[in-house]
Amino acid sequence: MGIFYINQNHFLMKKLLSLLFLFGMVALSLNAQEVDLKGKELFGDMQARQIGPALMSGRIIDLENHPTDPRIIYAGTAGGGVWKSSNGGASYSPVFDDYIQSIGTVAIDPNDPDNTVYVGTGEIWTRNSVSVGDGLYKTTDGGESWTKLGFDASERISSIEIHPTNKNIVYVGALGPLWSAGEERGVFKSADGGKTFSKVLYIDDTTGVADLIMDPNDPNTLYASMWEHRRTAWNFNSGGKNSALYKTTDGGKNWKKIHNGFPQGDLGRIAVAIAPSSPNIVYAVIEAKDDKGLYRSTDGGESWTKTNGDFGLVVRPFYFSRIVVSPTNPDLIVKAGLQGSISRDGGKTFKNLGNMHSDIHDIVFDVKNSDIMHVGTDGGIYRSYDGGTTMDIVDNLPLSQFYHISVDDAEPYRIYGGLQDNGSWYGPSSSPGGIEARDWVRIGVGDGFRVLKHPTKEILYSEMQGADNVWRYDMERNYTKNVKPLPVKGYDKLRFNWNAPMAVSTHQPDRFYIGSQYLHKSEDMGNTWTIISPDLTTNDKDKQPKDSGGLSVDNSGAETHTTIFTIAESPLDQNVIWVGTDDGNVQITKDGGKNWTNVVSNIPSLPKNSWVYHIEASVHGKGTAYAVFDGHARGDMKPYVYKTTDFGQTWMSIVSPDVKHFARNIQEDYENENLLFLGTEYGLYITIDGGKNWSHFTNNFPPTAVHFIDLQKQTNDLVCGTHGRGVIIVDDISVLRELTPQVVEKNVHFFDIKPGVMVEESGFGGGSTELQFVGPNPGTSVDIKYYLKKRHTFGKMNLEIQDMEGNKIVSLSPGKSKGINTVTWNYQAEAPKMAKGKTFAFGGFTSPRVPAGQYKAVLTKGKETYETTFEIKNDPTSVITPQERITQYETTMKLYNMQEELAYMVYQVDEMIEFAENLMKDDKGATKVANKAVEALTDLKKTLVVTTGDNYVGTAPPELREKLSALYADIAQSYEAPSSAQLDNLALLEERFNNAKKDLEEIKSKEFAKVEKYAGKKGTDMMKLDSKEDYLGS
Amino acid sequence: MKRIQQLLFIAAITIGFTTNAQTADEIVENYFENTGGEEAWQNIEAMRLTGKAGMGPQEFPFVQTVTDEGKMAIVVDLQGQQFVPQAFDGEMMWTTNFQSMEAEAADKETSDNFKQEAQDMIDTFLNYKEKGYSLELMGEETVEGTEAFKIKVLKKPVMVDGKEVENFSTFYFDKENFVPIMSEQTVKMGPQKGMQTQTIFSDYQEAGDIYYPYSITQKFNGQVGQTIKIEKIEINPDIDEAMFKMPVKE
Repeated sequence: MGIFYINQNHFLMKKLLSLLFLFGMVALSLNAQEVDLKGKELFGDMQARQIGPALMSGRIIDLENHPTDPRIIYAGTAGGGVWKSSNGGASYSPVFDDYIQSIGTVAIDPNDPDNTVYVGTGEIWTRNSVSVGDGLYKTTDGGESWTKLGFDASERISSIEIHPTNKNIVYVGALGPLWSAGEERGVFKSADGGKTFSKVLYIDDTTGVADLIMDPNDPNTLYASMWEHRRTAWNFNSGGKNSALYKTTDGGKNWKKIHNGFPQGDLGRIAVAIAPSSPNIVYAVIEAKDDKGLYRSTDGGESWTKTNGDFGLVVRPFYFSRIVVSPTNPDLIVKAGLQGSISRDGGKTFKNLGNMHSDIHDIVFDVKNSDIMHVGTDGGIYRSYDGGTTMDIVDNLPLSQFYHISVDDAEPYRIYGGLQDNGSWYGPSSSPGGIEARDWVRIGVGDGFRVLKHPTKEILYSEMQGADNVWRYDMERNYTKNVKPLPVKGYDKLRFNWNAPMAVSTHQPDRFYIGSQYLHKSEDMGNTWTIISPDLTTNDKDKQPKDSGGLSVDNSGAETHTTIFTIAESPLDQNVIWVGTDDGNVQITKDGGKNWTNVVSNIPSLPKNSWVYHIEASVHGKGTAYAVFDGHARGDMKPYVYKTTDFGQTWMSIVSPDVKHFARNIQEDYENENLLFLGTEYGLYITIDGGKNWSHFTNNFPPTAVHFIDLQKQTNDLVCGTHGRGVIIVDDISVLRELTPQVVEKNVHFFDIKPGVMVEESGFGGGSTELQFVGPNPGTSVDIKYYLKKRHTFGKMNLEIQDMEGNKIVSLSPGKSKGINTVTWNYQAEAPKMAKGKTFAFGGFTSPRVPAGQYKAVLTKGKETYETTFEIKNDPTSVITPQERITQYETTMKLYNMQEELAYMVYQVDEMIEFAENLMKDDKGATKVANKAVEALTDLKKTLVVTTGDNYVGTAPPELREKLSALYADIAQSYEAPSSAQLDNLALLEERFNNAKKDLEEIKSKEFAKVEKYAGKKGTDMMKLDSKEDYLGS
Repeated sequence: MKRIQQLLFIAAITIGFTTNAQTADEIVENYFENTGGEEAWQNIEAMRLTGKAGMGPQEFPFVQTVTDEGKMAIVVDLQGQQFVPQAFDGEMMWTTNFQSMEAEAADKETSDNFKQEAQDMIDTFLNYKEKGYSLELMGEETVEGTEAFKIKVLKKPVMVDGKEVENFSTFYFDKENFVPIMSEQTVKMGPQKGMQTQTIFSDYQEAGDIYYPYSITQKFNGQVGQTIKIEKIEINPDIDEAMFKMPVKE
């Protein structure tokens, strides 16, 4: 029966395999006609590296805690997705990495709080730099998987309320589009758990829901604050006749305005909160021209009394409009704000919350203990255990929001960038023990934007918002000088963008550019400035309003418009300079600024006055450049990406429908002109065919807004500055250069392997605690990369490293993914086989490092073998001589072989003891001879290996094995020749080793020979030993 | 001619599956069918897997013995010393303390939680209904560069530090041949809590009457952690039951 089944299955399987082969052929012939060079499969297991930083973290939008379990907290972030803590806020993990990363609100279903959570996307604290959302999501498994529930055009969702006893009834408050009119706003209700919704409160296409809250005791009662608002690139308006607070008591059928006691005139944004422990007490923070502030109602909103109008309560309502009441005390309330304000007397008086990052957006009280609070700010989440006085930051949230990044050519290279409300910083691309908080250096305050390294000196430039300060920073002296260009006679008042452009030159290291509406050039690192252009913008006065903000004037400079936004000097010709403006001009000079031409009208299908977000001057041709335009500030979410090769005379679009969201930045490859990288609102896209097809890169790269990309020239690392997930690096993209139609048609293709460098590093590193974020290092191993046309699922596949003679050095675990696979080898051969003892000889776990030279990677897949060769090199910065290296290697291998020989000796001893013991067990007559042998062998063994104790404090004194392995590990791990102390020690051990060998041979020829003789006489089977080769090979 | 007819017949069935396999049940059925048939899987009472486990080039030999009753023991050979890093006797999980090299019982919560996982010793999907699992087809997704069916396996809740927590994992079945190529799970306890782990399956080869993945790679957030290379699989070997029991301290 069994045999029958085996045969049958074998037969079936073979057929299945041949069938797959046939399908493979069909697929091949289809593919040969038209190869689409796109898709997730192109990248295989290429992984991005998220290095943070987390020390300054990033903007938090909404916090939500579990109704009964204080361990569970969710955080919705501005540009970094949703994070969940299941340890009471000690640390958080991302749970929304496959979806759009801008979050408006998170709501836990009280009927199923462990599992069902809703997420409304699109941040709701509507500053100039906000990202966009794309609708409503729901999980029923605590965040493992999410389902989209529509609201595609809502852009921003502010509130979600769920009926406390009927999980099917869900209300959604949509704030709606910020930059345009839109009808997907207002209060929506679902009676089927979110499958379908109907609109139950709608005002107009400019007025959305700022807050929607449900009475916990009466789920038919809800309060909705409607907010009229609109942002443009040059203005923000909060407030109008449509802003109002509404209440329903019949589950959304009827709504009435509840303004009894409210300020007169137009209203702006209104925050509203119910005291959960006494639901008739309702608080509203009202934006108005006069009498703005906190209002309190004790009759469910029927009448209102103003209790407080302090600065902390009324500051910047569009940014801080959240009021939170303790779950247990109706008089304990906190208001979001610049510092955050707390009241313990029902809102009459307030004091600031404790020291933390400013700009507080949301607060949650622990469900059981209001002394414990979690607070979301522009700089991460803080927790307090003493009612908001002492604030402690969560250290593992890498939510940093970069506007810009750049890299230098140091080794390891450094990454520079500026962040939303978190200054400017630089940090290393790798660091001993990983990239830790302490590796990052602050080089600017306020909002940070461009940070540019001087091409040859340890000098860098950084700036803050609106170029209020432009710092030249001496990295060696930790010394700054403000080198900002100032107004000069004969020119208009300077208009700098919030995010003002700066550039350095590859031709003249001391040259430095800044753009206002003019292009400013300095040839002496910013000490003196020359304006080298006329006003390059449209200078449209309609886009230069005096005041921004609407009801609450908000002139931060964030809306300054008709400015230069991007500057690019050609790397091939210093006289060719490109300038792009936020109001849609693409200007070029070919004579270093004497004459300027606006070439934007040559660009086909580009809406007029589109924001020129980035111009990249190419290394592939003097007249070649790329331009990325962004229309999102007027509600146009499409990407616009163009290329010119003739100084802007003609342009072609190089974006495809694969890219779904607007783009901000493009980076070209320095070698392959068809390889381009696009930073979009929805993550990173890559094309390998010059823009005909784009593929979304999603391997450990969430769809967060990528604001700026740089390609490091020595490492070919693609470094992305994201606005919500810090710096994300795709290490060494050079393999993508080789991805041609011919390569992707091959079953297996080895990419050129970059020589491995055995970096001589053996220091210490790693001072972070478990709860602190540490960015992973790129590793110093050699990367063996290959392309598989098809995933390897059936049959054997192995990868071996061999020397050039074909001797195996080590066997690795190859990746089997379709697309690009990367296997790393750390230059180590296998560890020695160690003698068996009572405990471990820890030195014996050390593997010897191979010498520099040529090696082979041999991939066996089924019956086919593929191989490639590669080089490994010594550290070029090393001071160690070749002769020292030879001595180090030879001594290492000598000790390696001694240990293996010792292992074989101990094996023989053990076998002999066993033989002798067995002999006397069966034959009492053998006792005398056997005992003598056992005694001699046991005495010898005790000197060879440790035979007692444990691996910790019960450890026995070291014997030969332990001493050899300790010396071996020391020398093997070192790069230098052994010290004389080590060599003296080796001589000592060698003597002992040789004596031991002699002793063993003596026992073999004396005591044990007698045992064998006795056994032979008795006709017992003789002892069979494995040969040394067999033993070591086993 | 006859062979070609057979081939076409099977092709028709397979194509039929490919286009119609809409339910999780059908996908799992196809998986068992394509790896030896469910009967062959049901005939397995125990398996002994011999291989090497490692991180990078550092490898150590192991032997793992499992039974369909959920007993399990791993024996590892390090420097000639054999020890049991983890074993489960059907009720209790035990480990070896690396310092003292003595056996120690795992905490009760771990043992209790493992009791459910132990039902999957032969295969997660074998008798999944009887085990009280439910499957949900979550759609299709590209993993390992390959189009795959995504199936969520919902098990009974586990206890984490005294609190009940949902317990499930996600499996990805290659659309072409219906075998799992990856599973994914969120770590629920310990310092790695919240981290995503992926387990990659490949090198499916014969093991007795079934096909089994001889290469298993564990990844943490996409970074390779442990690799397991299986060299030999014995189906229904002779087993000394004592190996599953925690040794009594002398």
